[in-house]
Amino acid sequence: MKATKRIQEFKALELKLTKDSLAPHTIYLKEHVVREHTKDKPQGRTLLIVNIPPYADEKGIINAFKDAGHVQSVQLCLKPSTAEVKTVHRFLPEANITTFRAAYIVFKKVAELDKALKLQELRPLNSDEHKVKVGINKWIQEYNDSILLPTTLKKNIETFMAKFDADSQKAEEKEKELEQEDDEGWVTVTKKGKVQSFARTEKVENKIMKKEEKNKKRKELKNFYTFQIRESKMKNIVALRQKFEEDKKKIAQIKQSRRFKPF
Amino acid sequence: MVKRNIKTPISEDVGVSKILNENGKRAADDEPKDAPKRVRTKSLYRQPTVNELNRLQETESLFNSNLFRLQVDEIIQEVKVKEKTEKKFQQFFTELKTHLLAIPDDDTEYDLSTNTLAKKLKLKIPVNEQLMTTKCVFQFHKFSDVEIKGSYGLGCSINSKLRVDLQITVPSETYTKNDSINYKYHKKRAAYLACIASHLSKLDTIEDLQYSYVNSCETKPVLDFKPVGKLGNHLSVRIHLVCESDAYKLNRFSPDRNNLREAWLFKDDSENSTEIGPPTPYYNSSVLADLTASTNQEFLNEFLPKSDNLKQAAVLLKIWLRQRNLPVSGYVVCLLVAYYVQIKRINNIMSSYQIVRNIWIALKASELDTKGISLHKGDSAPSIDDFHKHFPVVFVDKTGYYNILWQMNRGTYSALKRECALAVEMLDNGKINSFLPLFMTPVRPLMKFDHLLRFKNLSQIKESVLSKTSRESKVNYGVEQLSLVADVLYTLLAKGLGNRVDLIQPIIEDDFSWPIKKTLDKARAGVDPKLSFGFILNPENAMNVVEKGPPANLPEAEQFRAFWGDKSELRRFQDGSITETCVWEGEAQAERRTVTKQIVDYLMKLKYGIAPSQLFQVSWQLEGLLARRGAGAGPEEGSLRALQAFDLLRRDLRQLTQLPLDISAVYGVSPIFSYSCPVPALPRAAPHNPWKRGNSCLVKDITRDGLPVLPEYTPVCKAVVELGHSGKWPGEIHAFRCLKAAFHLQIAESLTKQYSLPTQASPTHIDVLKNGLVFRLEIAHPKEITLLRREKENGVVKYRESEESERLQNETVLLPKLRGALHGLHQKHPSFGATCCLFKRWLSSHLLSDPHFPCLVADLMVAAVFLQPQPSQPPASPTVGLYRVLRLLTDFDWARDVIVLDFNDDLTREDITKLEQQFSPESPGSPRIVSAYDPPGLARPRPDARVLARARALAAATLRYVEGSLLTEYRDNILPMFVPSLAGYDVLIHLHRPLVPHCLERVDSPPRLQKLPETPGHEVIPVVEFHPVLKYLEELRSAYSEFALFFHDLYGGEVIAVLWTPDIKEDREFQLTNATGLKPIPSKGETKYRVNVQALIEDFRILGQGLVKDITVN
Repeated sequence: MKATKRIQEFKALELKLTKDSLAPHTIYLKEHVVREHTKDKPQGRTLLIVNIPPYADEKGIINAFKDAGHVQSVQLCLKPSTAEVKTVHRFLPEANITTFRAAYIVFKKVAELDKALKLQELRPLNSDEHKVKVGINKWIQEYNDSILLPTTLKKNIETFMAKFDADSQKAEEKEKELEQEDDEGWVTVTKKGKVQSFARTEKVENKIMKKEEKNKKRKELKNFYTFQIRESKMKNIVALRQKFEEDKKKIAQIKQSRRFKPF
Repeated sequence: MVKRNIKTPISEDVGVSKILNENGKRAADDEPKDAPKRVRTKSLYRQPTVNELNRLQETESLFNSNLFRLQVDEIIQEVKVKEKTEKKFQQFFTELKTHLLAIPDDDTEYDLSTNTLAKKLKLKIPVNEQLMTTKCVFQFHKFSDVEIKGSYGLGCSINSKLRVDLQITVPSETYTKNDSINYKYHKKRAAYLACIASHLSKLDTIEDLQYSYVNSCETKPVLDFKPVGKLGNHLSVRIHLVCESDAYKLNRFSPDRNNLREAWLFKDDSENSTEIGPPTPYYNSSVLADLTASTNQEFLNEFLPKSDNLKQAAVLLKIWLRQRNLPVSGYVVCLLVAYYVQIKRINNIMSSYQIVRNIWIALKASELDTKGISLHKGDSAPSIDDFHKHFPVVFVDKTGYYNILWQMNRGTYSALKRECALAVEMLDNGKINSFLPLFMTPVRPLMKFDHLLRFKNLSQIKESVLSKTSRESKVNYGVEQLSLVADVLYTLLAKGLGNRVDLIQPIIEDDFSWPIKKTLDKARAGVDPKLSFGFILNPENAMNVVEKGPPANLPEAEQFRAFWGDKSELRRFQDGSITETCVWEGEAQAERRTVTKQIVDYLMKLKYGIAPSQLFQVSWQLEGLLARRGAGAGPEEGSLRALQAFDLLRRDLRQLTQLPLDISAVYGVSPIFSYSCPVPALPRAAPHNPWKRGNSCLVKDITRDGLPVLPEYTPVCKAVVELGHSGKWPGEIHAFRCLKAAFHLQIAESLTKQYSLPTQASPTHIDVLKNGLVFRLEIAHPKEITLLRREKENGVVKYRESEESERLQNETVLLPKLRGALHGLHQKHPSFGATCCLFKRWLSSHLLSDPHFPCLVADLMVAAVFLQPQPSQPPASPTVGLYRVLRLLTDFDWARDVIVLDFNDDLTREDITKLEQQFSPESPGSPRIVSAYDPPGLARPRPDARVLARARALAAATLRYVEGSLLTEYRDNILPMFVPSLAGYDVLIHLHRPLVPHCLERVDSPPRLQKLPETPGHEVIPVVEFHPVLKYLEELRSAYSEFALFFHDLYGGEVIAVLWTPDIKEDREFQLTNATGLKPIPSKGETKYRVNVQALIEDFRILGQGLVKDITVN
């Protein structure tokens, strides 16, 4: 009973950057309760927060909830989503977008979550040990980080390619496995198998559909009955008439907009 | 079957409607409509009639296009005098005529050198002081008729500022035989006019009775008035005086006769006063105009009123001339039309379009300045050669004595010829709707000319010029000094500027009217006539710094020296020739554009002692903005330097060995490669004591006086690299990018190894230092775009445009092509780049810089001015170019039309129509300016409707300001047009000035001297593209775009202006996914949510830590 009440209502708390911030943002938090919990957002220990200001980082948020207890992990995301976050293997790191975020905080203990929900006040993001990096300092650091030594870049490339090659090999093997007859005698058709198939792309699909339609059309008799011929003629005339009307409209429009007043 | 076919249209329709009825679907609908339906059927299915067929054929052959014909019909309809007005005027005229004819005879003889007549009439006689003293005796003789003449009489008048010309013929007994000399004729004419004026003033159905004179003909006043009431809103009436043709023998006024005695003009009472002086053709013509009026009018009446087409053509020509503000009267137009009918160049069964076109072609090829034309048949009159001796332009009238174009200056005539040539060119250009630029667009002086010369104190200039003019020409022009000054100055300027200019056109604004109770001189006081000269520069020669004269040993050298004075010096050239030469200042491109100004200033000073401060010249005003402050070089020089370095780099890249794939092409994409970057990258000296990682500098994390010390902002020049073809690129985006990074790395390494250039490879690009400039290369490959567009839906691979793929396509496919085209455009029109720079600066200074008004759109808009300059020609100076771009911005209908750019002149009419349809401006995201390079369906960044509206409003205000300061106030400093108004924004974020890049480029910052390093740094890549303000803006925009818009001046703006969205103060709904920036506000027991504006402002401060100085809330 208590739990359901919590779901409906978000609790509003002010989140300050420093102790003497004058106009802090209000963040909204509640317990993360869904039917199926994923591993990274365990039931009973996860707190959902929305409206986290753009400059806040993970450490800052841990600072803010220090009064509640130990935070196991902080997950910042653009939109609240219940699904587990899958990491895609990417070469370029995802661009860091500055914007308002949502966060899932996982506490170590269930009691800490309850404590957090009862908090009347949050600590500021900045503490003595950790200061949120913003402004010029942040940009300088970003710039300096972006300068890579050729050797570093080379290493990055090599590790990525090695992993990519391994991954693609794995995928290939998996496909090969699928080729084998399963218990009931089914065979999955894949790209590289012995059984010829077509690529599953939009283009190929459209081509096939077009062919089908053509076949259908060929079977149909269009210019056979008198009424069909008559109707097609009529259609032609109607199309012409419509075009004429459109042209007239266009000229009327020109007239209206230009008005032909030279002076 | 064939026979039936004729009937089918009607019968079939009936059949169909029957079928519909049988189906029973629309029976109820159709029944009552039966009667109108038949009519409709008739119009839709009718056989084409003969008339219709004829009209269609006519359109094809007689008119340019169907659209052209429709538009001609429309405009003729529009300018036609309304029937209602005509009726009303007829009524008014009858009344007026009765009143005028009732004028009493007066037997008294008045001495016009005294005031007796004026006193009696209780008004002033419209003559100036100079004429006042001449003795003559005047007696009023009653006239017999008042006639409607001019365009209204001929039926080719224009219903805007309509003026009905009435003509009163002065009886010949008013004048005596001797009155033809010394302005006695004019004086009596004025007195006669005063008599009529005095009589008219008793009529109460007229108002605003005024004297006025036209074409600066001070000695020949006319009488202007308006009918009382509504009719007065539509038209005004002007009374002209002419005299009976038998008053004098015409040969008294042959061009080589003298009718104005020197003694009278110069007031010397010496004994030679009886001697007859030099010929006075100008004076003669002013009398002849009156004498020949009736003959010529009769001649016109023979031709014009009969043919509607001729009249229409005359109207079209008049509209065309009026839009161009050329001083050619409707009377001259009619006579010209008549002349071409007479020589059978045109005939009255031609269509109006054909007539106009033929006249333009004829005038374009005409040489009235050397081979005059004549309406006169027979050989009793003086020969054309006689006229040529005394007049610049010759068109002799029916009588053979009167040169109709006696007032026309040579410059005006060449302007007319030029306009004709342009008009024909426009007609033949099938790609534009030539009707609009020909007839609908007014051509303002600032639009047409590249350079304008005006005079601040004309009367003083007049004196200095007159004091050095020959007695002979002074006698010829008599008291009409302004025309004399214009002619004299024209000759001087034409000689001095030579082939630097394509056209010099004098513009005299001297139409004046004054109340009948005031003397001319009193009314005149304080109202100066205006004289200006417009120049169209020859883009090839105008910027020559050296004026090469004749070789030193020829006699011409003496003349050259005499003309140029001290400026002329002997010089030896590389080809061995030794010639007299004038050398003007012009090191930088911006300075070279002022050579015209230098020459004009120098000649005026040399010849007439007129100081440059007395002159006012337009077109150099914004050059100062172009020269980069301190660096002593404008954008042109900077771009050129970058292009040269880029060419070298390109060569190096092509010759790289040991690459798995060859480099097939390198394209520049930064604005600097099309000369359109206002602050081009400059070579820098090697950084002092840098922190380094590899080949690159790092930003030092140090502060001084509480502010971080940042390296000077160094932009990069971006280019894309295309590699040879290979099928081995991976089919997965991340792997693809990884491989791309590997290529970057390899190219960078090879460049360092082979050419020992410092490079810095990064996953997304390579930075190379060449000749002190940093180039940023990126590999472009179409597969990356395809991979970005790819997405999987239900296991099916589909290709959809995504934001990223569009961006990549724009940057790597479209931009290189456009940049190349723009570069080509600058080669063709050297002022293109500078105009772009000015326009971008203007946009940016009003805080509309990228991304509000994308840089590329600005470039293309300027390109539009150069590619579609109709009705003028491409501007040759940046200041005028900017004016034209702003005009385009305000005048073009952006909501309805698109501009199609035809860069290489290779699009056909069909291509253009196709492009216009593909990119109709209604579809969202469609660019407003397109070219053949735009792939269909690709969205390009474009200014949104609100930004465009603001830009247009600002442009309109700027234009008003510029016109005001340049044309009426003679202000040289028009930089205030670059000063934005910060009112109206909600929040202003002030930044620390030293941290703002380009802050020394600001319009208001004092010039700073900084020289380019002699040896640019070549060992280490400086800190590049580190722009804290842009970083800050990027963060602000990405975080707060749903609450506010951020505006900033890219070129050194130290303020960021913030505008909240209009609904910022409204209540919002709280949702899980949409809770950004809200704060709860308890009210009446329930909680409402609003945007936490205070916190947002606090955020601005937090995000900009170290950069933001202060935030003010309005």
